[in-house]
Amino acid sequence: MIVIDKLCYNSKLRYINAGEKFAFAMMTLLICVINRSIAVAAIVLFLMGILTVFKGGIPLSRYLYFMTIPLVFLLLSTLAVMFHIREVPMDLFAVSFGKWYLTTGYHSFFYGLQLLLTALASVSCLYFLSFTTPVPDILEVLRKLHCPKLLIELMLLIYRFIFVLLETASAITTSQNCRLGNRNYKTSLKSFGMLGSALMVRSVARSRKLFDAMEARCYDGTIRVLSQDQPLKKKEVALIVLFDGTLLLFVLWRRFGV
Amino acid sequence: MSKMSNKQKHVLTVAGVFALVFGIVPQVQAMHIMEGYLPGGFCIAWGALCVPFLVAGCFSIRKKLDGHRSLITLLAMSGAFIFVISSLKIPSVTGSCSHMTGTGLGAILFGPSAVSILGLIVLLFQAILLAHGGLTTIGANTFSMAIAGPFVSYGVYKLCEKGGLQKKVSVFLAASLGDLFTYCITACQLALAHHADTTFFGALGKFLMVFAPTQVPLSIIEGLLTMIIVMGLESYAKPELREIGFIKETK
Repeated sequence: MIVIDKLCYNSKLRYINAGEKFAFAMMTLLICVINRSIAVAAIVLFLMGILTVFKGGIPLSRYLYFMTIPLVFLLLSTLAVMFHIREVPMDLFAVSFGKWYLTTGYHSFFYGLQLLLTALASVSCLYFLSFTTPVPDILEVLRKLHCPKLLIELMLLIYRFIFVLLETASAITTSQNCRLGNRNYKTSLKSFGMLGSALMVRSVARSRKLFDAMEARCYDGTIRVLSQDQPLKKKEVALIVLFDGTLLLFVLWRRFGV
Repeated sequence: MSKMSNKQKHVLTVAGVFALVFGIVPQVQAMHIMEGYLPGGFCIAWGALCVPFLVAGCFSIRKKLDGHRSLITLLAMSGAFIFVISSLKIPSVTGSCSHMTGTGLGAILFGPSAVSILGLIVLLFQAILLAHGGLTTIGANTFSMAIAGPFVSYGVYKLCEKGGLQKKVSVFLAASLGDLFTYCITACQLALAHHADTTFFGALGKFLMVFAPTQVPLSIIEGLLTMIIVMGLESYAKPELREIGFIKETK
């Protein structure tokens, strides 16, 4: 039901140590976000795309489709960054509306372009992580990073419940469709509301049953799950360090010049 | 076949661009700031601003759990409920697929302090599983969607209740005003980070304007849906509402 979740379980990079993947994605993401230059963004976008699609075995069409998800936000806000409404036209381009101009200058234009590319590159880092690493593995990494226990426990339970509730919701939607529940706009609003309240009722009942089941199995405040640890591979660690080190050097070189 | 004239070529190109731009079904969601859109300093600053609220939320949850350990599954179920509600397509007028925020509903049902923690987790899952929002911008998103919005929703709801308004009206107002507030806060966050070549207020105006066509109808729909959900719960689920502490407060 959640496509990313399905795809990441089938990824060829799934059985690589989760810490490695997490560290790689986060370091590259940080370099990308802090540096914000077109060159770095292009390198990262290209490399992460290759890694996710060819090494990870995610179908290219799926990957490109997922790249379009943030596009509406990106286009709208970049338009707002790039264009100005002024009385005086700026240096690159202007369209006049009576007294006012819709206009942009070189500086704003490149600023917007840089923003667009940085955002896409960072999204590719995020996709690398989420297309190769299942959520339980990420939670395991967070646990090792000493994230509060309460949070981890809640996350584990929430992750589990999401699928239970999604299944219920999709069954309810199907039966609503069968009974012409989405015939016109008014009925579909009403149906969605009913779906929401039915879902809430079901989830409360579900949670009560689950707690009983946990009690019956000696729940004492912590849920212990076995984690499957994949060993660190020296070669991969070396490659990651090499790539991020080179990227960092490149960034420093671009910024300060030698 | 004869060669295409220049004009035909132009028409074809324009049609192609048009198809590319509008052929992709637009995803309208509550405004998650996307991964990589905020500079590093802002990510850290917004994250830091969230910390006191999250710590308070953590303490309040822990206190509740100390009394009744069985609340943990209920809390987790509520978190999953917020996630699922926000990931379902809602009926929208324009044909694009829109999503609810769900945090307004959460704040009305479970109270704002619990929603801050649940909202953080939901946002993390939305970033990883649905690609809405991002890891570096999670601080900013948590502030606007899991803290500011729910607190406004809750405040409005309580105020309306004191003012003796009908429950329907107060739920509608709470959810839609919370949503609008989230939208304004997000625009502020964007404008603070990106106001090259213009003033902060100029940038704020532009961001507000650009997102208004998607966000204003969305907040009204969210208000309506939240109202229908709460009304449905009131009529079918009295015991469940008592269990999550919603009815006790209103009596």
